Amino acid sequence: MATVLDPADAPAANEKQPAGRTKPTTPGGRRRHFPPLLAISPFYVLFAAFGAFPIVFSVYLSFQDWDGIGDMRYVGLKQYGWLLQDSVFWHSVLNTFEIWFLSTVPMLFLALVLAFLLHSQVRFSGAYRVAYFIPNVTSMVAMTVVFGSVFAQAGLANSALRVIGLDGVGWLSSEWGIKSSVSLMIIWRWVGYNALIFLAGLQAIPTEHFEAARVDGANSRQTLFRVVLPQLRPVVLFAAVTSTINGLQIFTESQVLFQSTDVGTTGGPGQEGMTIVLYLWQKAFKEHQFGYGAAMGWVLFAIIAVFTVINWRLVAGSDDDRRPGIAGLLRRKGARRGR
Amino acid sequence: MSRRRFLGACLGGAGAGLLGLTGCGSAEGSASAGTDHLSLWYWKGSLSDKLLATARRGVPGVPGLKVRGSQIPDGDIDSKVRTSLAARAYVPDVTVVNNDNLATFFPDENEFLDLRELGAQSVRDQYLEWKWKACFTPTGRMIGFPLDAGPTALYYRRDLFREAGLAHEPADVAEEIPTWEKFIAAGRTLRAKGPGKPYLVSNIGNVFQQVLLQSPKQFVDADNRFIGDQEHIRRAWDLSVDILRQGLSARITDGTPDFNAAMSGGRIATMTTAVWAINGLKDTAPKTSGSWRLTTMPDGPANYGGSYMTLTRYCRDPEAGFAFLKWLLSPANQLESYQEMALFPTTPAAYADPAMHKPDPFFGGQQPIDVFGPAAEKAPVVYFSPYEESANTPFFQELTNVEMLGKNPDRAWRDAVNTAETTLSRVGVS
Repeated sequence: MATVLDPADAPAANEKQPAGRTKPTTPGGRRRHFPPLLAISPFYVLFAAFGAFPIVFSVYLSFQDWDGIGDMRYVGLKQYGWLLQDSVFWHSVLNTFEIWFLSTVPMLFLALVLAFLLHSQVRFSGAYRVAYFIPNVTSMVAMTVVFGSVFAQAGLANSALRVIGLDGVGWLSSEWGIKSSVSLMIIWRWVGYNALIFLAGLQAIPTEHFEAARVDGANSRQTLFRVVLPQLRPVVLFAAVTSTINGLQIFTESQVLFQSTDVGTTGGPGQEGMTIVLYLWQKAFKEHQFGYGAAMGWVLFAIIAVFTVINWRLVAGSDDDRRPGIAGLLRRKGARRGR
Repeated sequence: MSRRRFLGACLGGAGAGLLGLTGCGSAEGSASAGTDHLSLWYWKGSLSDKLLATARRGVPGVPGLKVRGSQIPDGDIDSKVRTSLAARAYVPDVTVVNNDNLATFFPDENEFLDLRELGAQSVRDQYLEWKWKACFTPTGRMIGFPLDAGPTALYYRRDLFREAGLAHEPADVAEEIPTWEKFIAAGRTLRAKGPGKPYLVSNIGNVFQQVLLQSPKQFVDADNRFIGDQEHIRRAWDLSVDILRQGLSARITDGTPDFNAAMSGGRIATMTTAVWAINGLKDTAPKTSGSWRLTTMPDGPANYGGSYMTLTRYCRDPEAGFAFLKWLLSPANQLESYQEMALFPTTPAAYADPAMHKPDPFFGGQQPIDVFGPAAEKAPVVYFSPYEESANTPFFQELTNVEMLGKNPDRAWRDAVNTAETTLSRVGVS
């Protein structure tokens, strides 16, 4: 603070208050803060314009009836009332949870196994890491075209099933077929990402623990469940929370998998692939009911908030020593360094 | 470039962008403010690239008028126009609007210029009657200008029809299959006697769509009343369900890999769709070239798709904007657009031109214009309300449920009516 960046400011600031840090709000102080504030301003300006403002505006919007151009009409809580009575909305909530469950549970388990394998000494582990991460950065729209062929009646998935003597499945034309194919796409896309997160967590576990486990005669399964998992708890929590947040906002997979020129196929047959965000998109951007869409967005927010808390409780447990989250992680690292 | 200069350039760019954002409200709102040209938004394939290149250099016959087009992805253009209108900034002077979307702007009709005030009546005779009428809002303002049309026809596989022992030349088919009921009967014959037991249609949603378009009334009338539970919709529903019940539908969604396979494999004998589907069919099933024919749709032709052009109220020079529309969409230029982009003209004078009478080998040398020309002139005048999509989505969805999931048709009908009524009541349609 004492070293003034701008030499032109220095004499003036020193004359008025020798101890500039006591009154940081004087003009000289403000001017001194100006360069660093300017330096960080792009983020705040962009955040205000594209983050904060839309959030606040969508609250306001959810109490209005608006087609996007004309005058807004204040309707109070009616949008929320309509939403709670909307059977399609509740269907989409149920679908979202079913798809979320079908995708997240196997995905996190697979990711953990992959991370464990990558963590052990394999050759070309760098190449594997890249390979597992590639689905996450592949254009989803392009991939949906590929998955569209995989899940077609005469597609790859059904051909594979027939080879092993099973009947074909209506992947895109039956309730659980639709949910499974959307879930498989989500698993494919996110398993590598979460494996890398888990891998980072694994690498943070001190090697002494593994050595100690080996000396005590633990097999790899025991090492996984008794040593690795407890230490990974904060990372698992992180992965579970982000997967919940992402999982409840599933959109692209369903939207593109059932893309078609006619409106009747949004969400697929029986709207079994209709998720909350897909329904929001349909109402707000296809039917121009922006107030309704905004209300739906806030109900979704509430649902996600509730489930994040539940997740937190489930994964964190009630054990005080293993307080989850960044704080716990930092404290443990600090303790390690102290030792 | 040094790091400092790079950072400076980034900051400068962000700053200029923000200045632009704040500065725009004070200008007149047109995307072309401060330039020497008018701005035009369109999507790839909706307008002739050659004519746009000419307009960019200068619109012939209008001294000093230049129009510069910007391509917007066709799924985004409607929301983008809406966003710019809501912001009253960077609004294009001229824009293309898809058939289904023109009516969604009716509640905000004042955002667009009334083309009657710019002398649109003087060219009225050049355009198709029903298309011209569709440019008007319920209050009588003309906010659209006819771009292209989508006359419909029955596409059928001549070889399959012949081998099933049905009439198979276009004129005979038109005579033998004048109604949807006869169409279904032909489907039964095809399924029983045709080679490989082909299906009549890929899915029943297409038939539902076509029967609907033949009706001047849709789901919501001009007084904003829901009429989707009435006889004209019920008839389309029952015909579609009947096709399914008789096992004549392949139950395949259009555009999927299964659809492409079925079309190339000759498992579907007909398509009920518009003229713009020709190129898609040629891409989907190139091996079937020569076996397809076109004839009149059962129960008569209709229009499916096609677009409009509009002038927004922010248009910097309305007279010039209209002069541009008049030039771009004149009979001569619509003919050029047809040859270059396969945009079907809304100016009947073009239909007689030899350029439109080219035999198409994909249809065994048949001239598509012989079917689509008369179809375009006979299409009914249809009223589309701003809430058509909200109203018809439940019906298409429930029809898909009936077809794909085996839902009971009567229950599906009741659910569709209920959902449509609930949805519409929220936007003020009763």
